[in-house]
Amino acid sequence: VPRVPVSLTRRGALGGLAAVALASCGDGDPAPGSRPQAGSGAGSLNSIVALEHATVAAWAAIAGALRGNARVQAEAIRRRELDHVERVSALVRDLGGTPPGGRPRREYAPQFPKLDNETAALRFAGDLEERLVRAYLDALRSLPDSEQRRAAAEIAAEEAEDLAVVAVLAGEPASQRAFVTGTS
Amino acid sequence: VSVTRRQIVVAALATGVVGAGPAHAEAGEVDQLGRLLAFEQRLEAAYRAALSGDAIDPALGRSLLAQEREHVRGVGLALEAVGRRGPDASPPPPAPQAALSTRRLFARFALELESEAVAAYVRALATLDAPDLLQPLGSIMASGAQHQVALRQLLDEPLLAPKP
Repeated sequence: VPRVPVSLTRRGALGGLAAVALASCGDGDPAPGSRPQAGSGAGSLNSIVALEHATVAAWAAIAGALRGNARVQAEAIRRRELDHVERVSALVRDLGGTPPGGRPRREYAPQFPKLDNETAALRFAGDLEERLVRAYLDALRSLPDSEQRRAAAEIAAEEAEDLAVVAVLAGEPASQRAFVTGTS
Repeated sequence: VSVTRRQIVVAALATGVVGAGPAHAEAGEVDQLGRLLAFEQRLEAAYRAALSGDAIDPALGRSLLAQEREHVRGVGLALEAVGRRGPDASPPPPAPQAALSTRRLFARFALELESEAVAAYVRALATLDAPDLLQPLGSIMASGAQHQVALRQLLDEPLLAPKP
């Protein structure tokens, strides 16, 4: 009987999350039956919606591994990610598309690393937010409409704030770099 | 991870506007980059003044000042890359004296200025027609957003800003 790995590396976990996210939206293309045209930005936006759904599930798991003020902050960040799902989904709908829906939390959970202490949870949270910053900054290039780009920029700033909050919770300075590029 | 001069210049070269020269750079784009540079210069001057006047924790002040210097350099290079002059030699408006009278007042002043700067970056990123500058400028905006968290921490306020 094949054994399931006890825990994933953080990079492996993020790769797994990305795979689940992409599977949610058909490899980045608009969902079947949706009408957006090529170059409308729908593909990028759908990929982000799928990643944000996975992020919401991840933050629920992270919050579960934290206590006290750290848990309160994690729950606040999770609510912001839910807002991001709604905002980016609305952009897809504006293009006549159908944004990908979220999956049951249990389908994301196997992709998360083992979060058996606060340090592990905050490391995963930091990696997750780095990925989100990168996703939104990268998306700026592929979004043709100014309102799409405005939304991506505003959300990128919020993800950078979330990353700073994670650093503070880990006992580190909020702002450590002059250029926050995120990581993929 | 840092954005180097080469990265910004290469990014601008890829837009095609560098080779075209100043006459081909859109005035609106130059204005937007100029506004961003002005914000960064004001922030740099404010943190320098706060450090001189003991209006900010020295370690945090030195860190934020160093990052603002990098931002000034980065936006200046972006301006040069689109064929315009680099950082303005004229001094930016100084921080109001009242804002430097206590650490709390300075943190409030700096938080508002950082917030205005991030909003200016959002406007620029929404409309700039220079695709290869978007990611580098976005990375500076993201740093500014993190400065806000550091300042809210100083003010003992919620780290995440409430929704307007």
